[in-house]
Amino acid sequence: MSIEIQSVAKRFGNFVALDNVDLKVETGELLALLGPSGCGKTTLLRIIAGLETPDAGQIRFHGEDATGTHVRERQVGFVFQHYALFRHMTVFENVAFGLRVRPRQTRPPEAEIRRRVHELLELVQLDWLADRYPAQLSGGQRQRIALARALAVEPKVLLLDEPFGALDTKVRKELRRWLKRLHNEVHVTSVFVTHDQEEALEVADRVVVMNKGKIEQVGTPEQVYDTPATPFVYQFLGDVNLFHSRVHGGFAEVGEHAGAEGVVAYVRPHDIELLREPAALTLPATLDHIRAIGPVVRLELRLDNGDPVEAELSREAYADKRYLAGERLHIRPRTAQNFVEDYTI
Amino acid sequence: MRFRQASVLPGFGLAFGYTVFYLGLVVLLPLSALIIKTSSLTFDRFWEVVTAERVMAAYQLTFGASFVAALINLFAGLLVAWVLTRYRFPGKRLVDALVDLPFALPTAVAGIALTTLYAPNGLIGEWLAPLGVQVAFKPLGVVVALTFIGLPFVVRTVQPVLQELEAELEEAAACLGASRWQTFGKVILPTVLPALMTGFTLAFARAIGEYGSVIFIAGNIPLESEIVPLLIIGKLEQYDYAGATAIASVMLLISFGLIFVINLIQWWHGRRHGMRK
Repeated sequence: MSIEIQSVAKRFGNFVALDNVDLKVETGELLALLGPSGCGKTTLLRIIAGLETPDAGQIRFHGEDATGTHVRERQVGFVFQHYALFRHMTVFENVAFGLRVRPRQTRPPEAEIRRRVHELLELVQLDWLADRYPAQLSGGQRQRIALARALAVEPKVLLLDEPFGALDTKVRKELRRWLKRLHNEVHVTSVFVTHDQEEALEVADRVVVMNKGKIEQVGTPEQVYDTPATPFVYQFLGDVNLFHSRVHGGFAEVGEHAGAEGVVAYVRPHDIELLREPAALTLPATLDHIRAIGPVVRLELRLDNGDPVEAELSREAYADKRYLAGERLHIRPRTAQNFVEDYTI
Repeated sequence: MRFRQASVLPGFGLAFGYTVFYLGLVVLLPLSALIIKTSSLTFDRFWEVVTAERVMAAYQLTFGASFVAALINLFAGLLVAWVLTRYRFPGKRLVDALVDLPFALPTAVAGIALTTLYAPNGLIGEWLAPLGVQVAFKPLGVVVALTFIGLPFVVRTVQPVLQELEAELEEAAACLGASRWQTFGKVILPTVLPALMTGFTLAFARAIGEYGSVIFIAGNIPLESEIVPLLIIGKLEQYDYAGATAIASVMLLISFGLIFVINLIQWWHGRRHGMRK
C-alpha cells in the first residue's frame, strides 16, 4: 500500500515541526526518514500513524484520505524506540494482544491465534522465548518482539520510530541487516525514522533527508550520498571539507559555479588527492596527524591560513606513499560539489 | 545463607544493626509487652473475653467496615489519581493538596465534622433521612469515616505509578486496535495493580486501627456500631488491662494475617510478571 503525504504542516506552539511536507511512499518499499533531532521526522511518522493530527494537509493511504481515520482503524504497525512492550504479559501474550482485542466477530479462534503467534515468533527467531516476560529479555530481543507484535495485526504499513536507537552498536548492526532481510520476506510498506546516516544508507530502499521541518532530498542511498542536493545533505551524510572561494581562491572554482562570488566547494575526505609537488589547482598544506586504524588511514592536514583539512586514504595507498607527519604536501579535490555560500550554515 | 553481600556502599553492619534495633524498640517491644500481659490470663478466661458476643460483633464491624471502606477507596482513589495525572484543569494544585487533608486533619475534627454532616438533621443527613437511609450512629457511618481517612493512601501510592506510565504503552495498544476500555483494562490497570494493592493494604490497615474519627459518627451502640478500639479503651477505663490486651492481641493477629496475605499476593504477582527477580 502506498502512502501519500500532501502539504502536511504541524506546529507545537511556536515551534514549526513540519512545514508543508509532500512525500510519496511507494508500495512495498522500505523508506528511511533521516535527519538530526528536532527535524520533524518523528512527528511525520506519528502523523502517518495517526498518533498525531496535522494542522494542515492530508495523509492518503492508497489514494484514500486517511487524515481523519483513528489510529485504531488505520491498520498501521508501530514500533517504538523504547519497545513499549506490555510488562505484565508474556512475550506470547504481547504478540497475541492485537488479535485478542478484536471484536468477537472478527477475532480468530484460540487455535488460530496460537498458530499465528508462533509463526510470527519464528519469523523473528524468538519462538523459544514465548513464556518469558519482557523484563527477562535483552534490548535486541525486546525490539524483535515489538516488531512481531506490530506485524501480528497484518498492518498495511509498518512504521518504526528509531527502532535501534536504544541498542548498542553491535546489536544495532545485526538488527539492521535482520530488518532488511525481514522486509524482503514480508514486503510490507515500511517507513523508519533514524538519525544515524549509516543505518539509513544501509537499510533503506530510499532515503528522505529532513531538516528543520522540511525535506531536503529524497533519493536512493547512492543518490543522496553521491549527489547531495543541498549543503545540509552533504554535511549530514558523512565527513566533508569546506573550501570557500573567498578564502581559498581558485580552489573552489571547479564545477558549475566557477567564477561566482562566495562559492563553497564541498569535498569528501576520500576525494582529496595528495601530491608531493605543486600542480594546477592545488593548495599547499602541512600534514599534522596520521591515524592508521582499520582499513582507512585518516590524515589531518592544515592549510597555510590554519584551516583544517581531512583526507582519507586506503591502507595500500598509504603504504605506497609513506607520508610523514610534518611533511609539506599539496592537496587537490578529485571531485567537488559547489554551492553558493549560505551564511546561515 | 549469605548474610553479607560485598558492596561499594559502606556501613551495611551499622545500618542493618540500627534497623533491627529500631524495629525491635519501636515495634516489637510494645507488641511483645502486649502478648506478655495477655498471657497473664488463663486460656479459658482469654477465650471467654475474646469470644464474648459484644467483642465478636465489634471484630466483625471493624474488619468488615475497614474492608468495605478500603474497597471504596480502591475505586475512588484510582479515579482521583487518574484525574490528577491525566487532565489539566484550573485549581488542580488545590485539589491535589486537598487529597492530603485527611492525613493532616486531627481525626476527632474529621469525626465531628462528618457527624454534623450525616446526622439526621445535618446537611447531608436531612436529605438521606426521607429515603430511609441513616448514616450517623449506624455501621454505615463507620464506613463513611473510614473511607474519609483512607483515601489519601490509595491516591498517593497510585499517582506516581500513573505518572510514570509511558504514553507509548497506550499508543501501542491503540495501534494494535484496542479500544480505550480495552487499553484501560488490559494495559493500564494491570500496570497500576501492584500500587493499587499497596494503597488498599495501607488504607485497610489504617482503617482497622482508626479510633478518633469513628467514635463520634458511630454512636457506639453495643452489638451494632461499636468498634474494637473503643472496646479496648472501655476495658482500660475499667482497669481490666489483661482483658484489653486479650482483645488487642487477637486484633493484632488478624490484622497481621490479613496484611501478610495481601503482601504475599503482591509478591506472587510481582514475581509472576518478572518485575522482581
